[in-house]
Amino acid sequence: MQKLMDKDIITALVLFAIGGFFLNGAGDDVKNWIFPVLAIYLLLGIATVLVLRVLFAGVINRAPDILQFAQENRVKYRDVLVFFLIVLVYMFVMTGLGFWLATFLMLALTSNYLTIEKTRRNIRLAFVVPLGACIVAYLIFLHLFYVPFPKATWWPGLT
Amino acid sequence: MIEGLMQALTPTYMLWLTVGVLMGMVVGTLPGLTATMGTALLVPFTFALDPGPGIAMLGGLYVCAMFSDAIPACLVNTPGTPAAMATAFDGHPMVLEGRGQEAIVGACFSSALGTFFGAACYLLLAFPMIAIALMFGPPEFFWLGIFALTIIGSLAGDSILKGLAGGGIGLLISAVGISHANEVARFTYGVPEFRAGVSLVAGLIGVFAVPQVLSMVMGIRRKEFIADYDRKPGVAFQTMKKVLAHPIHVIRSGVIGSFIGVLPGAGSVVAALVSYSEAVRWSKDNSKFGKGDLRGVTASEIANNAAAPASMVPLVTLGVPGSSPAAVIAGALMLRGLTPGPELFQTDGTLVFAFGWSLMIAGVVTFILGSLFAPVLVRIIRIPLRLLAPLIMFLAVIGAYAIRNNVFDVYIMLGIGVFVFLIRPLGFHPGPIGLGLILGPIIEPSLVQALYISDASSIGQIFFTGTINYILIAMTIFSLVVAVWSHRKEKAKKRENIPIEESA
Repeated sequence: MQKLMDKDIITALVLFAIGGFFLNGAGDDVKNWIFPVLAIYLLLGIATVLVLRVLFAGVINRAPDILQFAQENRVKYRDVLVFFLIVLVYMFVMTGLGFWLATFLMLALTSNYLTIEKTRRNIRLAFVVPLGACIVAYLIFLHLFYVPFPKATWWPGLT
Repeated sequence: MIEGLMQALTPTYMLWLTVGVLMGMVVGTLPGLTATMGTALLVPFTFALDPGPGIAMLGGLYVCAMFSDAIPACLVNTPGTPAAMATAFDGHPMVLEGRGQEAIVGACFSSALGTFFGAACYLLLAFPMIAIALMFGPPEFFWLGIFALTIIGSLAGDSILKGLAGGGIGLLISAVGISHANEVARFTYGVPEFRAGVSLVAGLIGVFAVPQVLSMVMGIRRKEFIADYDRKPGVAFQTMKKVLAHPIHVIRSGVIGSFIGVLPGAGSVVAALVSYSEAVRWSKDNSKFGKGDLRGVTASEIANNAAAPASMVPLVTLGVPGSSPAAVIAGALMLRGLTPGPELFQTDGTLVFAFGWSLMIAGVVTFILGSLFAPVLVRIIRIPLRLLAPLIMFLAVIGAYAIRNNVFDVYIMLGIGVFVFLIRPLGFHPGPIGLGLILGPIIEPSLVQALYISDASSIGQIFFTGTINYILIAMTIFSLVVAVWSHRKEKAKKRENIPIEESA
């Protein structure tokens, strides 16, 4: 079972999955598909070589390069997951709440979550810096570069 | 030519050139804003000026953006524009070692040197260079792209196979959307938004910035800042001395950047990548590349800045813009009733030469401003990670969105970023994936065009004939052999070192 956690085996599986997924959507007209199909065969070829390398390593008894998931890293993974979920929610509420309000909320929430030492000063900073960043970005991107950001659709009138 | 210099040194030229340089500083530093977008936004302002200062301002913006894109590349591993991708390979590790100011000043000084090379090419060698450039057809561009791909050898990390796989993944992502041949929608899987393809800028932000932010979040309980930074007096001067200590490296990067810049369509991105690859290949000790070698930063920055003025050569000699910002500058000239091309040399030669000198002066102004701002800019790394990680994610979102004003690009950016973050522990490096993304749109159209040409003859005749093809194929094979050989050498060295460390 541990051998299945070999980095080369997992890489090969990932490459087979990507190659298979893209090959499934590929057509047969040469000029339209030659380039992506060559790239797909490159991935499938590398995946095959990686599998052969693992088999050869087994024959010569070379120790596998196992992908490690240390228990003490669980907190780190949780931090990444929470951060990512907040960003994901932000992506979806961006068009509802409007870009700037959603951005401020995302920045304030993530900054607060990532502030480990929750002193009064740090918490204040976690609100002030996102507010300042939003104001500066608003001025630069909207008034200097005229980028039209998504407006609020849940509460029309809110930018 | 001297008249052109005198005109370029007038206060009006200098004032508007400096305005352009300052705008370029903003445009290059913010991911998602490109030099093309910046020059296009400045075009309306040129109507109020004479054509000379007007295009000098646009040129100043272009030159400075090619430097300032190195700032986020070095500090937070997020290239400001795709041309700074190779700068990040060594610039960011330098910042992590506490050599942030050296990285920024090095990039800035190299950019000035690169601009000097490109502008000299524009002023002195425009016509001979264009004669060589005209020998490049689709097969030659195809091989140039394949040659640029061999840089994977120096970016692959521990495994060349995984580096190649990363490159393949990048090429595949770049193939999503309408094909270059017959307008067939590829890999859209019923999602209409995929027809527009993956925006290069959004893709690169996903490959570089998102995994970087997620890694910062992972390390949030371990360290407070990206890296330490102590301002050391005299760093700027020492860095310039270090850059000039490798004159052959400087000249090689400048020549590569100038030549590739002259080729219409190749541009600063390919110039920087090829120059980086050549720097690795020709270096006696290339073990430090990718781990914080100043030569990596200089190779990339000299070449991408040399390519900027050089891309104006086909514009003024043939009327064909060599890059997207050059196309905008051509548009600005045409709006004033001036048609770029050989006639412009005859009818308004002073303007053409004054523009060339302005580009050179823009390099000097960029260097002065960049050196002044470097100690301030580098303080970004002293922003606590708890605040910096969300801010970079915010800039990544804006950058991915602003390029096409499309929220779907933000989803693509996040998807690619999470994918790269997840496969990194398997031994994948973001560099080859980004390289595939960049080179896909250069290699594929050349391949397809060459295939169309080959309808009239055989494929072998198209791809495997001609001196330039032979040279590029030989360089590609040589580059691959050197990459595999140096990887094996490095692995053998590591194996030799293990027992020594263990016994110690």
